[in-house]
Amino acid sequence: MVYTKKGPALFIIGVIMLAIWYLADSGMLAGYIEHLAAGKKYKYSHELTTIPLYFGIVALVIGAWQWFGTHREGHWDYYSSTIAGGMFILLIAMLVRWFIAPEIAVISMSMGKVGDTGKYIHKLLGLNYVVLGIVTGIIIVNVFKVPEWAQNGVRLSRLGLKTGVILLGTLYSAAELTNLGGLSIIMIGFFVLGSVGMTLWLGSRMKVPNSMGGVLSAGMGVCGVSATVAAAPVVQAKSVEIAYTIGTILIWGVGCMFIFPIIGNLFGMSYVQFGAWAGTGILNSAQVAGAALAYQPDGIETLKVAEIFNITRVLVLPIIVLWLAVWYVKREESVTESVNVGQVIFAKFPVFVLGFILMFALSTTGIFAPAQHYKGKYFDNTNVPASKMLTDEEVSILRANAGKVQRADRKAALERLLEGRKIASREDDATLRGLINAKVMGKESGKILKKAHKAVRHTAKKIKAFRQWITWLFAFGLVGLGMQITVSSMKQAGGQPAIIGGIVGLTKAVLSLIVVIMLVSETV
Amino acid sequence: MMSANNVLLASHGTEGAVAAENVALQMCGKGARLHQLIVVPTLWQGMTGDDWLNNGSTRDTFRRYLESEIGREIDEYCQRVSDEAEQNEIEYSRVIIVGEPEACLLEVSQNDDFDLVIMGSPRPRGKKGLRSRMPTEPLARSLRIPLLIVPYPDE
Repeated sequence: MVYTKKGPALFIIGVIMLAIWYLADSGMLAGYIEHLAAGKKYKYSHELTTIPLYFGIVALVIGAWQWFGTHREGHWDYYSSTIAGGMFILLIAMLVRWFIAPEIAVISMSMGKVGDTGKYIHKLLGLNYVVLGIVTGIIIVNVFKVPEWAQNGVRLSRLGLKTGVILLGTLYSAAELTNLGGLSIIMIGFFVLGSVGMTLWLGSRMKVPNSMGGVLSAGMGVCGVSATVAAAPVVQAKSVEIAYTIGTILIWGVGCMFIFPIIGNLFGMSYVQFGAWAGTGILNSAQVAGAALAYQPDGIETLKVAEIFNITRVLVLPIIVLWLAVWYVKREESVTESVNVGQVIFAKFPVFVLGFILMFALSTTGIFAPAQHYKGKYFDNTNVPASKMLTDEEVSILRANAGKVQRADRKAALERLLEGRKIASREDDATLRGLINAKVMGKESGKILKKAHKAVRHTAKKIKAFRQWITWLFAFGLVGLGMQITVSSMKQAGGQPAIIGGIVGLTKAVLSLIVVIMLVSETV
Repeated sequence: MMSANNVLLASHGTEGAVAAENVALQMCGKGARLHQLIVVPTLWQGMTGDDWLNNGSTRDTFRRYLESEIGREIDEYCQRVSDEAEQNEIEYSRVIIVGEPEACLLEVSQNDDFDLVIMGSPRPRGKKGLRSRMPTEPLARSLRIPLLIVPYPDE
């Protein structure tokens, strides 16, 4: 069978990408971009004039070959058939990130802030490019259907997410990984075992078949659909039981992806707290990443925390599958096969986690950036160029507003800045950032302090590039995964599994929220 | 009871479908032909959902398992009807198609000279089974042969 579809689709995608690049690069989009920026600096100018150019050329060239060339069966044909779908996802991610999400932000800001929350509705609901990308994917598959030429490529979204997690390994410091790893093992250990046990207990109370209880407990307890897929054959789940479980989990997962960021915003949770809560409380692993990026779309601190929890969950998966296999064999007299421990562990082991560990190990050698760069920011006040030092005018503005500062440590740090015209130490930088956030000196002074902060805090180039790639890989992956969430599978939620799932899911979300707020500190 | 010589039976093992099977077997006289259509809904294609953590072999194992499980269930339904048909000297045949139930039924109904199409009524709320309802009204309008919808056993 020849998989590559002969047609103009990929070529047209290339033309659209190049058109975006041309319109942006030539300044023809300047007016619209100014409108999207809403009085601020448009964040994606650099991306807009580079990414569509590179990918547009690739899509145009391969698209022309796919359209006019001849294709034969083989490995290359199969790989080639995935390109159109991959570019289709990428184009949607581009449109959503650069135009649709900023447009929604503009509309939301024109509506004013919501009540006394002090937040615009798009911030409160987390309506950013990640969530909107997933929603667009869901709309495409359910309303228009994924075009046949794109179907093979849509599966590449999994590869995108796994590659994103592997690259994420470069951004952790050893201390971060130790602290987050320890926290996630405790939280995941408690909540996974707790929710698996609770589902099995509720299942036996409600007299659901063992196969149903087994598959539902894996889905509710570990990592949603992924755990259901892994556990269903082991507990010999019936087809309708699989449908009920996956339907229940998908509805919960998609719902949580919208609700968690709203609650996080209302509670004013820190990135670490939200990442830990999403990583524990959201059933489905794809929506954990979605919610983390929804909560912090322009940074990856939340994603870093949430993904450590996701990785811990997927590492626990083989153990839970093994537990359920043994549990099922003991309860079902008709099953005579014994459980092959080694085979279960080996078959279910998530190989991509090894890639994550390898990238982390490489980053600790300093291959990507010096040690102090791992968090993505480092402090250096030795080579501050004269252009980045405070000007006389800026110093006088700060002096004029210095009287508004009350705290002694902030006063002292500000005085040292005014004398040296640059921030002299990490401590002063942290203190002055507190002063910026307190907004006591007025808008103009705030801008000058931010300039002083940026003059000494940098992001290493390689780390910056990794962050950019990671953001795009997750955006790409999540749009593609959205295209695999069908309403017909969500509609299967129902019956006793929906009741058990509802009780366990809600208990896990509420308890983990309480634990996170009470026990998890705001920083790592 | 009415009789028919060439019946298309749309069934997939639910209680409503079993009721339709029983009526179809009663309506077919000796030597009549009963053609059973079983549709595997396309919703199964989306049943790996947004799983991305598993490796390819785990997903393949799941797909193979799901296929064999659905296949086993279909074999059970068909065997039951086939046994009954044999006892009543009814010529039995079957076709299994992956697709949308309504479209598949319309297509198969046009492939042969059927006298009658028999199917169960939509599953009442709260009854166990897949949510893959076939809209009966547009179907009845599109079919060119009589359609008999057998009431659900509990109703």
